[in-house]
Amino acid sequence: MEKGQLARTVLMVGFVLFFILMMIRAILSAYTLTPTSTAEDLKNLPLWQIPLVYIWDYAQHGWICLGFAFTVSGLFSEFIPQSFMIRYMSSKRPISYLVATIIAPLFCVCSCTMVPIFAGLIYAGGGIGPALTFLLVAPANNLLADIVTIQVLGWQIALADMVAAGVSAVAIGYLVARTPWGKRFEQQFKTSKPQTASLNLIKQPIDERLWNALKFGGFLAKRIVPPFLIGLVAVSYFQAFFPSDLVRTYMTGAFGVILAALLGGPLYTPTLIEVALGKALVDLGMSPGATVAWLMGQPYDIPNSLSTYRIVGWKIVATYGVLAFICAVLSGMTYSLLVGGL
Amino acid sequence: MKELKVEVIGVNPPCARCKKTEENARKAAMKLSSEGYKVEVAKLNITAKETIAKYGVLLSPAIAINGTVKIMGKVLDVGVIERLLRQAV
Repeated sequence: MEKGQLARTVLMVGFVLFFILMMIRAILSAYTLTPTSTAEDLKNLPLWQIPLVYIWDYAQHGWICLGFAFTVSGLFSEFIPQSFMIRYMSSKRPISYLVATIIAPLFCVCSCTMVPIFAGLIYAGGGIGPALTFLLVAPANNLLADIVTIQVLGWQIALADMVAAGVSAVAIGYLVARTPWGKRFEQQFKTSKPQTASLNLIKQPIDERLWNALKFGGFLAKRIVPPFLIGLVAVSYFQAFFPSDLVRTYMTGAFGVILAALLGGPLYTPTLIEVALGKALVDLGMSPGATVAWLMGQPYDIPNSLSTYRIVGWKIVATYGVLAFICAVLSGMTYSLLVGGL
Repeated sequence: MKELKVEVIGVNPPCARCKKTEENARKAAMKLSSEGYKVEVAKLNITAKETIAKYGVLLSPAIAINGTVKIMGKVLDVGVIERLLRQAV
């Protein structure tokens, strides 16, 4: 390795290690990474100060968590072997569901990566089941969303959300592939043979790969942080002024689960804002079961459905939308029963 | 004189990363063109049936040189693409 290359590698490894160590330190010392302001603190401030105080509170605690999340997302997207993953996901065997649920979301944090893979799997004859599973699980279970959910809402809810989203996505993919219209749709692409012969990926030296990883992390930050800040402004007012009685009455019990599943879906919010809004609702009294249902709403939001509609048609979109809603309600109910809050 | 056919495969309308990749590919191509190579850059839609029939499932953005996908799922700097092109010549 030449000198400049070595220096670059060391510098970038140092950068990555910094965030990993800071994160470990934060976890070990039980340092909270989420805002500590309550509705009471916020309500008494002048109107213009509310979002500033709230965002400052977030920034003070959250920069480690977000920095870690962006860095690690970048590393995963760079270092997970891509051709391996695609080969398994487009195979007709049950393993394709497993790969779609567990490995794929680890590196898919960007919708402009997800839709092409979805379309690719279908057109290449990989079957609509695994493709749908992948499409539904990727926004819910990607690394970035998982890290932030764990930090903001606690690992119990995050774990419940991950398991519920994974299981539901497999169930939905499997069921849609067995409906008459799902089968008919798949039939169209039976004849096309997937081509992999023209793939011969180059190998890049380690310093270039690390640079790719960090660049991708930076790209994610640039794309996600600005809407996140705007979302936080809204959340801060919400937390300060939304009547907590309303949340306590309507966002708890069985009705709360159903309402949360209904609201969490069509209401389009980027995952991080959904988590922040969820946190505000929890502080105002939303039950844990309803929180899980709320988080599960992600996969059937409107923009996501629109882009898939163009590929698979409205019948399949409607089918998976209804199924996803049922799954969100069921998961919320199950979690409520488990923690005894229904 | 060698000929090179560079295909940038991305989503349409282009996302930020696909746009950047195309930009960098064009810059690298220009560099080689100025040295007398014949380089042609084309843009392919990753979700089009023809593209998938040709290359299979890809991560966006991807770059294919002379009909072989060399890189996918990442944005490369101009210098790196230039190196790829020289290797292909």
